[in-house]
Amino acid sequence: AVPVSAAVAAAPPEGAMSNGVYMPPSAANGDVKPVVSSTPLVDFLLQLEDYTPTIPDAVTGYYLNRAGFEASDPRIIRLISLAAQKFISDIANDALQHCKMKGTASGSSRNKSKDKKYTLTMEDLAPALAEYGINVKKPHYFT
Amino acid sequence: RSGSKHATTPADNYYLARRRTLQVVVSSLLTEAGFESAEKAAVETLTEMLQSYISEIGRSAKSYCEHTARTQPTLSDIVVTLVEMGFNVELLPAYAKRSQRMVITAPPVTNQPVTPKALTAGQNKPHPSHIPSHFPEFPDPHTYIKTPTYREPVSDYQVLREKAASQRRDVERALTRFMAKTGETQSLFKDDVSTFPLIAARPFTVPYLTALLPSELEMQQMEETDSSEQDEQTDTDNLPLHMGTDDSGPEKENSSVLQQNTSLSGSRNGEENVIDNPYLRPVKKPKIRRKK
Repeated sequence: AVPVSAAVAAAPPEGAMSNGVYMPPSAANGDVKPVVSSTPLVDFLLQLEDYTPTIPDAVTGYYLNRAGFEASDPRIIRLISLAAQKFISDIANDALQHCKMKGTASGSSRNKSKDKKYTLTMEDLAPALAEYGINVKKPHYFT
Repeated sequence: RSGSKHATTPADNYYLARRRTLQVVVSSLLTEAGFESAEKAAVETLTEMLQSYISEIGRSAKSYCEHTARTQPTLSDIVVTLVEMGFNVELLPAYAKRSQRMVITAPPVTNQPVTPKALTAGQNKPHPSHIPSHFPEFPDPHTYIKTPTYREPVSDYQVLREKAASQRRDVERALTRFMAKTGETQSLFKDDVSTFPLIAARPFTVPYLTALLPSELEMQQMEETDSSEQDEQTDTDNLPLHMGTDDSGPEKENSSVLQQNTSLSGSRNGEENVIDNPYLRPVKKPKIRRKK
């Protein structure tokens, strides 16, 4: 397959195509390991058959249908709901970090750790979302 | 949809049920992250974000799929979508394995409004072939079909004649009673005045006048043909002939009177010449023979 790819690709003659991945010459040294470009989640999709994410399939399917997405495979829906879950829990974890930082920033309690009761407030959520590029501005009070 | 108290349609209920499910999901995720409680506004924010995230994935995946001239989205489309949205796809299996211990919550709400059988009336029209089956059904036929509820008028000859006769009898009865009650009455029985009232007859001063004078209709006819003088001679010619035919065995006096009447009538205006009736001509008194 090497001569064929060399004829087709307009790559520099030293560039080799192996495994369907184009490796630039600098990568031939082994500094950067190329990722084999098969679809990454194929194996994971097979594991999803018996796994139910927190969001029910019907709910996710409802919102996907509203966007025009008709899923033929229910595993696709589970994948999407899992991705959305991860998105939200990432934000929640960041907000938790902020909450913990505010709590122990001044170093008030060393003996006992910060009390387990964390409350998610907008003050914690706003900087966590700002890191994702989402700006939320809530008024302190409204009439 | 901001918490208003208006009545919600089934579509709104559908939407709200799913929204609530999303809120429950968000709450469970927050609990898993370690939060004990959360502000309402924060939960709402995250719910809104979750919903829009799912919608955006759907829309974007569909766009990628259609970009390559396909209609069914595949795994690759979703992977590309997630990558574009800044989602690290490689961490997903790890996350899935980590959250295995999370409790599965919130079964979806199935809210299919069905009209009860008692309310449906008649057969709905079936869908024509060009309408997909998942569309709502046609409404009940009584909403667009109107049948008139009057009965056919009776056209039987006998019934109609009976009806007409009874109606006329009733009208006559009512009219006579009305006249009896409003005008003068005479009674058949001496002591019982009100049972059978008879309409009192008004005696005329000259009783035979109505018999001799022409009716209103004939007066009109006379006025209409007033100007026709051509008929004058024909009438005078016709009159003796009529005399001869009508009065077969008249007396000589009468015939002479009649002939004088015809001459007299000829000399009069043409108005009176039209009258053909011998009894309507002016009376000619017979000659009184004086006994000498």
